[in-house]
Order: sequence, then structure tokens, then C-alpha cells
Amino acid sequence: MHLVAFLHVLGFLSSVWALNTSVVNDFFERNSAPGASKHTNNWAVLVCASRYWFNYRHMANALGMYRTVKRLGIPDSNIILMLADDASCNLRNKFPGSVYANPGRHLDLYGDNIEVDYRGYEVTVENFIRVLTGRVEPSVPRSKRLLSDERSNVFVYMTGHGGNEFLKFQDNEEISAFDIADAFEQMYQKKRYNEIFFMIDTCQANSMYSKFYSPNILATGSSKVGENSYSYANDNDIGVAVIDAFTHYILEYMEGINKTSQMSMQDLFNTYNPDKINSHPGVRSDLFRRPLDQALITDFFGGVAQAEVIPPIEDLGITDDAPPDLGDSLPAPEEATSLVKVSPSLFSHRPSDILSSSNVVDKKRTVQMWGGLCLVGGLAAWAFRKSASRRPNA
Amino acid sequence: MKLTLGWFLLFSTLFNNGYGWSSEIFSESLKIAPLPDGRVSTTFSFNTVLEGALPRDPRSLTSQDASQHYVLFPLTLGQILREYAVTELHLSLNAGNWNYERWGYPEEKGVGTGAELLAWMGVEGSESVDDRWKGLRNALAGLFCASLGSLDEQRTTSPDRAFFPQGMLPDWSGNVTHQLRHASLPSEHVCTENLTPFLKLLPCKSLSGISSLLNPHRVFDADWHGMGVHVSWLGAAGVQVRLTFQSVMDPLRYSRNTSRNWSLRSLFGHGIERNCPAASSSVIEVTLPDSEHPSLTPQPQTSSGSKATYDVLTAEKTLDVAMQWQDGFQYPSILNNSLPVSVTRTLRGFTQASGKLSLVLKNRRSTPQELIYLETMPWFIQFYLHTLQTRIDGHLRDDIVSHMSYNAAVAHSRPTTFQAELRLPPNSVTQLTLDVDKAFLRYTEHPPDAQRGWDLPPAVLIPLNPADPINSNNSHTYNEYRLGEPIYTSTLLVDVATPDFSMPYNVIIFTCSLVAFIFGSVFNLLTRKFVVLHLDANQQNN
Repeated sequence: MHLVAFLHVLGFLSSVWALNTSVVNDFFERNSAPGASKHTNNWAVLVCASRYWFNYRHMANALGMYRTVKRLGIPDSNIILMLADDASCNLRNKFPGSVYANPGRHLDLYGDNIEVDYRGYEVTVENFIRVLTGRVEPSVPRSKRLLSDERSNVFVYMTGHGGNEFLKFQDNEEISAFDIADAFEQMYQKKRYNEIFFMIDTCQANSMYSKFYSPNILATGSSKVGENSYSYANDNDIGVAVIDAFTHYILEYMEGINKTSQMSMQDLFNTYNPDKINSHPGVRSDLFRRPLDQALITDFFGGVAQAEVIPPIEDLGITDDAPPDLGDSLPAPEEATSLVKVSPSLFSHRPSDILSSSNVVDKKRTVQMWGGLCLVGGLAAWAFRKSASRRPNA
Repeated sequence: MKLTLGWFLLFSTLFNNGYGWSSEIFSESLKIAPLPDGRVSTTFSFNTVLEGALPRDPRSLTSQDASQHYVLFPLTLGQILREYAVTELHLSLNAGNWNYERWGYPEEKGVGTGAELLAWMGVEGSESVDDRWKGLRNALAGLFCASLGSLDEQRTTSPDRAFFPQGMLPDWSGNVTHQLRHASLPSEHVCTENLTPFLKLLPCKSLSGISSLLNPHRVFDADWHGMGVHVSWLGAAGVQVRLTFQSVMDPLRYSRNTSRNWSLRSLFGHGIERNCPAASSSVIEVTLPDSEHPSLTPQPQTSSGSKATYDVLTAEKTLDVAMQWQDGFQYPSILNNSLPVSVTRTLRGFTQASGKLSLVLKNRRSTPQELIYLETMPWFIQFYLHTLQTRIDGHLRDDIVSHMSYNAAVAHSRPTTFQAELRLPPNSVTQLTLDVDKAFLRYTEHPPDAQRGWDLPPAVLIPLNPADPINSNNSHTYNEYRLGEPIYTSTLLVDVATPDFSMPYNVIIFTCSLVAFIFGSVFNLLTRKFVVLHLDANQQNN
């Protein structure tokens, strides 16, 4: 008997929790289109895994992405930038404090304001996985942590030298496609993301996302298995290749995107041209639950906060003595009859299903609340009486 | 401007809370000195004093700290200092070797290559000094985008005879003693990502005042550059945070001819256009060379002896200080400098198992010179103290080194600390040698670019001023007042034995070659038919 009562209480609590999460869901989805993203914050993890001066282009790749996400509104505090070597203050750099990604050196990617969170020897496979999964030491500062939550859209960009199902870190160790897939699964289980957009520019890059198995991941890579990724151009004064082709064409497209852009990921993927890139970029969207033409580019590259302007409080007609939710909760006769129908569904929490019009949902919910409360109260009283009546016999 | 300053003062008095400080004062200065070799040394110094403040008592770490309200004092740094109860802190991030022979003493003393972190922390309290040191270096790593997190216990030492606090150490009315932690990372790079957070600590960022000259594209092009953060407690005056940026620039490199004329515009890209309203004083000080008489524009407001000063707050804007020489630059044949000694440190020996550390000290003066010698080495360079030999002009001497203290390294966990006092005879060349062993590292302990070798931290030599005859009992506490300015030697690059990281591939290649060779021969033997060919003599002639 106690067990039954306990289970009922548990069921009630879980249904209340489900109702609360549905309140949260409603709050975030009130004004959004059906296919729109449910995120409230954006994070970016940008990794250049290559050391040495001749890998200048990999530094430029990551810095180009850094510039783009920063321009589109992700603040430095939400960007984890990992650069395995220092190209800008390298003694071989003729242009100190600058990294350029085009042969004419028109745009300095390093600029005056940059925060590199992991650099040099700190860029290791271990640190990268620790950043993703959040398993860091307590003393690690906030700027080196990915403090994302279940409403975060995370953009993960990696570049370096790689091969079939691996990417080299600093010519010293490798991360495999399985490692990243498992790290993403851990992130999913720890509710560290809402959606992930994974982009990788390396040789045989498409093999790197082939092992993903966690939901809500969109992935793209620069070249298919068995194919190399190539650099785009050299600068004769810098003396090395300055950027890779795949990243170059993405950044070129991104320059036309601004914070209010409505272009979708499909639009971005449509610009892939294997003839120009010299390799066949791939897209993996089977884990992604939204249609690509409704996933905006700014969902991942931009730190776009959706602001909702609500009317002033007096317009809502709220009075002090009767809070609106209590006033609504007085069951009208026809709703009282529906109470019987609704109450069984109390114990099966399906938050996202109760989505028709918000008014009806509100009423339904309050009816459920009251019904559940009565039921549990009755059960508890009954159980208490049973045990109280039994006690003298014991 | 005055109004804004007034607001700042008003606010700072309004926020006068539990700590009891009354105000915050921010001042900035820039010292420019032409160097004998044609280069120009520039030293920025940004000084914030939190008046009346006291460093946090480590015993109060368990209880909630009062909230911090600062107006000018950098909050992010203040939070770190209070979180880990740090009394005094010195962080320097330098790139390049400071050339004492040519440039003399630097304006800011900490010029060791790479990163160097020094902190004094109170010992008492629930959290140990080592835990707080770890937290401190991680927090600073996050704040300054530097790899200070890797200054772990393998690099941490406590050389308490070579370093003394610049400020005072409070005892919080409970006999709290302090401990020193020191670590250096010679391989650290310094770049824009370090300067960005540095500028964010300043009240005017890099928007106005002297700090607007800190343009990363120009300062990182300098022949030598370094930044520093110095926190000390000045007693009743309060807590001082001094942010410094030093660089040695070369106008000859930019000029088409042999002109060493410079101006703020030619060095930093632009002059000073606006005042920093938060600064109570903002001064540019130019050192004039003794022998030559270059012209300075605009006319300095005050000029006394070899110093000309400009008050940026009252000067006409745009302020572009320029120095012009009449004639071209002739490289001096003799560089005379005021250094008491000159030092050369080398690591000799060609094997990967052992070597010899050699220190050559030249005393140019006609008086004996005492020095404190500090050597900190990672554990994989092991000293043998019994092999310490001192030679003067080739002859063995045993009266040079005294008061040695030696903390031997512990493999994989603790570095060596060697401190000693040296007494150099007048006009002499002293050579110190020590045999060292290079340890064999584990496969995973090698850095990704293992073949490059390891950077070893610089040694530090601190000349001692002549002893006061009245109080000549040689106690270590007394040495504090005799310490001169430290001389950092250059860093060393040591080549330790590295495994063949591509060994598996070599094995595969060798085995495959062998298999191919054997298989090929056997296959040939089995499948080929060997016959004797009889060539026709006539055909052969054709």
C-alpha cells in the first residue's frame, strides 16, 4: 500500500516536472516558426591542430572562422579557440601580429582583439575532449571551459592534417572519429548541447563524422574518403599557403551573411563546388532533426538572441488579489467533465505533445494539476488512515 | 575631462566600504631612452593604487569575502588576488633576450625570456600555499591567455635568497609568515592574445592616453618586448598594481638611410590624440643622450639634466614626440655600460647523456664584486655538485663560491634549485663549471616538437651592493637591502635523447623490404628458367 502511494507521489512529481519543462519549452517556442531552432545561446569550439610555420594555413583557417563567428555575434567568452602554434608572432612572419588568409593580405585575421584559450603545447587531444565533455579540473578558468547547456548550439570546427577516421594533433597524437563521436554522445547525455554543427577541413574529412550516433548533429567535411583537401593560395611575401580551399569558399560565402540573415544551412551547402574546392565536400544530416532549409546559418555561426517584447504589465489586466493562473484554474463545467479523461495522461509525461493553442494548454494543465493534487491527496490520506488503523494491532 | 575625473573620485569615495580604502589612483607613464646601439627603449607603466587596502588574510579564505567594488582597479585581477590570498605577485611575459651588454639595465627588472611568475602568499589557513599557487597560475593562465597552467610543480621553486618582495608583507596581527613560489616557462610565446587582456585591465583600455600607443602590430615587431604585472602591498598606502610593457625598437631598421630619428608615430603608428580621463598623471619622459644633442619636438615642458618630460594631460594634441639627430648614425666602437659584471652561460658537451654547464663571469671593476647566483633547472638536467669547479684566469680557486644551498631534483616531480654567493676578484674572468646529466624521458613526456629540444630557464645573478661595515654580519635578511638589480642570463636549449617516434613505421618498412627481397629472390629462383645461351659469333659482331 505504501509502495503504491509512493509510486503515485513519484508519478505526480514527474508529471509536475514534465509540466514545468513544457512551460519552459512553451516559453522558448512561443514565437518561433515550426522548424526554428530552440537554442538560447551559441558556443564555438575552433581547433587548429597543426604546429609549425608551414601549416600557417591551418592557423588562418581557424582564425577565419573565429573572425566570422565573432562578427556574427558570438562573444569571446563563448568561443574556445585552440591554436597549436603561434603564427602571428612567429619570427618567420614578416608581418608581426598579423595572420592573413588571402594572397593580397587585405584582411588581418589576428587584429587588435583576440583571445586564444588553448595554445601551443596545450592543444592536445585530451584537452579537446575535456573541453567538449566538461570534465576539467576545478581550477581551470572559465575562459577555458565550454559552459554550454541543453539550449546551446555548438559549432565545432577542426582543421589540421588527417586521414581516414583520424586527425593529427601537432604531428604527435591523433584523435579518431570514434573519439569525437563518443565525446558528442557524452555531451548529449550530459545535456551540453541542443544542436551541434561539426565542420572539418582535412584530408579525407568526411570519414571524421561517419561515426557520429548522437542526435541533433549536423556535420560537413571538406573531402570524401580517399581524397585530399587542398590549399587555396600562396602569398609570396608570407612564403607559404595561406588558407585551405574548402574553408576559403565557406568564409567567402560567410562574408555575405550578417546577423539578421535568413539564409539556411542548405544555402551554404548548395554553394559547395567540387571543381573549385578540388575535393568533394560532404554533408551528414541524418542525425539532424530539422530540415536543412529551415536551419539558419546564424543558428550556429551567430550569437543571435531572440528578444521578445511583451506589453507592459497593466495591459495584461493582472490584479493583485487574483493571480491569473488561479483565476483560470476554476474548472468550468465542460472542463470538469474532461478532467476524468485527462487525468490518466498525468502519469505519462509527454511535454512536447501538448501543443495546440497556448490557452487551451494552460487550462488543460491547471486542470491536470488540480486533478493530480486531489488524487494524490486522497491516496495519501487513505494510506495514512490504513496505516493508522493498523498500528494498534501491530 | 575634469568633470569625468571628478565623477570617478566621487564614485570611488561612495564605494568606500568594509576594506576601508578611500580612493583609487591611476597614473601612467612612458619612458623613452635612445640606446647606444641606435635602438630605442620604451617602457610603459600603468600604476593603480588602491589606497588603504590590505591583501586578504589566508585564514579568512573559508569565510565569505566581502564584495569588491572597484572603479579603476582591475576587477578581474583583484578577484584572483583575493580568491587565492596573494600578497605580492610578479608576472612577466617576455620575448627575446635582453642584451645587457648593449642596452644596459632594463627599466623593468624582470626580463627573463618567456614567462616568469613569482608570488608571495601567507602560509596559515585551511588551504595550503601549493593549492593556492596552482589555482593562481591557472587563473592567470585564463586571464592572460598564456600557458601558465603548465607551470606545475615540476617547474615551481622557492628561491628565497634571490628574490625579495618589493612591497611589504602584512602579518594580519597573527604572525602569519609568507612563502615564495617561483616558476618560469622559457618557451612561452608572447603575442596579441596576451596584450588584449592586458589592455582590458586598464581603465582607458587602448582608446586614449598613453595606452593608445600600444598597437600590437608595431610593438610585436620590436627587437625585444615584454609585459609585466606587478602587484605589491605598500603598507598604509594600499595595494598597488603596476602593469608594464617594455620594448626595444630599432629606428634604423625602418629608416632608408642611417638615420635613427624616431617619433611616436614612427614607433607606434600614431601619436596621442586624447587624454585618459581616469589618469591622475600621464607623463612621457625622454632620456637625452649624454654626448650628442638631438633636437626634441615639441618643446618639452620640463627639462632637467638628461631628462625631458611631457605632461600628456596638458600637452597640445595630437602629441607626437619626436627626436631628431643632425648626422647619420655611426655604430659605436666601444659600448660602455654600467653593468658590474657580464655573464655568459652555456651548456657544453655533444652527447645526449651528459654535458657541462659553464658560467663565465667577467668583473670589469677594480673592486671585488659579490653576487647571488640562482640556477633553477627542470629535473631532467641533473647537477653534480661535487664537480663544481671555479677557475680564475685558468687557475682553480676554491674561495669564490660560498653559502651554497641546493635542493636536488626529484625525477618527474621537482626541479633543482641552486643558490650560492659568488665573490669575484677585481678585473677578473671567473669560470664556473658543473657536470650535468641529461635524463632519459618517458615517451609521453616529450613535447610534440621533441627534436627541437627543451628550453631551460635563465639563471639569475643578483649583484650585492658593498656591505655596510657597521652591520656586516652576513645574515640573509640583511642581504635584502644589499640586493642590486638582477641580471638574467639567456635561456639554453638542451637536446635530450629522443626516441625515434616513427620507429613503428621504420620497422614496417624494414620488414617489408626484407620480405620483398627474400620473396623476390625465391620467386625468381622458382619461376625463372635458367638456360645457357649460345650466341652466334657472327651475330655478335653485327
